[in-house]
Amino acid sequence: MALEAGRISRFQVIMLMVGFIFGTSVIVSPARSAGHDAWIANLIGIMEALLIAGVFCALANQFKDKTLVEINDLVYGRILGKAFSLIFIWYLFHLSALVLTVFSRFFVTEIYLATPKTVILIVFIAVCASTVGRGLEVLARCSMVLISLCILVIINDAFLAIPTMDIKNLLPIVDIPVEKLLWAAHSAATFPFAETVAFTMIFAFMNNHKGRYAPLAMAILIAGLTLTLAVARNSLVLGSMESAFEYPTYLAIQMIDIGDTLSRLEVVVAIFFIFSGFIKVSVLLYGTVLGLAQVFKLRSYRPVIIPVGILMIILALTNVGSSTELYAFVNNEFPIYSLPWVFGIPLLTLIVAKLRKLPQTGGDQL
Amino acid sequence: MIALLLLGFGIVALIQIPGLVKKQWWWELIIFTILWLSGLILSVLLVLGVKFPETTTIIGNMVSKLFGI
Repeated sequence: MALEAGRISRFQVIMLMVGFIFGTSVIVSPARSAGHDAWIANLIGIMEALLIAGVFCALANQFKDKTLVEINDLVYGRILGKAFSLIFIWYLFHLSALVLTVFSRFFVTEIYLATPKTVILIVFIAVCASTVGRGLEVLARCSMVLISLCILVIINDAFLAIPTMDIKNLLPIVDIPVEKLLWAAHSAATFPFAETVAFTMIFAFMNNHKGRYAPLAMAILIAGLTLTLAVARNSLVLGSMESAFEYPTYLAIQMIDIGDTLSRLEVVVAIFFIFSGFIKVSVLLYGTVLGLAQVFKLRSYRPVIIPVGILMIILALTNVGSSTELYAFVNNEFPIYSLPWVFGIPLLTLIVAKLRKLPQTGGDQL
Repeated sequence: MIALLLLGFGIVALIQIPGLVKKQWWWELIIFTILWLSGLILSVLLVLGVKFPETTTIIGNMVSKLFGI
């Protein structure tokens, strides 16, 4: 019995990936450590992510109807394959908890000031679990509606913020050391762009197997350029103050005031943060439960959705002491921590598969 | 709070277990029970105020030490 009966189109995969990349980055700007040069770091990060994505897409193209867990079993054998798969599932699980941590902290700090984090997390995970339980097609259709709106709102907000912008805030260009700029770029490449490695659990369910790199590259470009626009807008509006705030996007939008009529638009940003966070957590939850179901040879991934969701909430509540520690981890350690999953292990698997001439039936090349 | 927690976990069990028993999916029931029990035990400990290790902080410290950041 197939664990996933649904099939999704290339366009749906692109929208799902765009939503996934937006995730927390809609509210927590990528490459923040580069200060007002974050937009340049973002552009470099996109290029690096396109290279990293080439590796795991080549692997997915090699085994076109297999998820990463099935690929690991084929390439490394049953025991070592399962060990690699469990390591990858941990990455998805931990990443999901990180996203939930950012999400709950944002809502508790900015919007629902008197609501406990646990309540926000339970409601959020309940919606994600319900969607994942309905299958991949439902999640893909959700992303088509929600993420199209999200892109339009980010672009629209950038135009509405023009009166509050000051071009001098971007000057002087590249006044930080080059290594700091490149580190910020690498940080943006790994969080959020290269996290699309999670789609190695989803590519197998595309109804069109004509290569995975083109839709992934398109998604990285669409999301990357939209986020670069948002990052540049934040710098233009807030200037050097930007680094002092935890959620600069929220504050930059707060400053929009068109004729005393169009104001308080930051709530719209919060709503779209819910949308993108929902897509990201749902994809990660889906990858985790599907991976577990494949590792433990379950006949359906549905029985484990709620328990895994509960464990994600527990990890999100306990994984980090403060927001400062969380963002220090994201900026300093995560770019190294995530490299084995987004680049190292897929590259190793690809090399071993080539050496062992797998799959024996042949597959599409990148 | 504990009672509320037990009620929540009871509802989850009531939603999942009858379907699995009816289909005789015993292996799925075992995996579900392990995960469900892990969630229940950790949640009760959390409610009782037990301090959990901060996983992300620990990973961050390990990476920092390993790579000298």
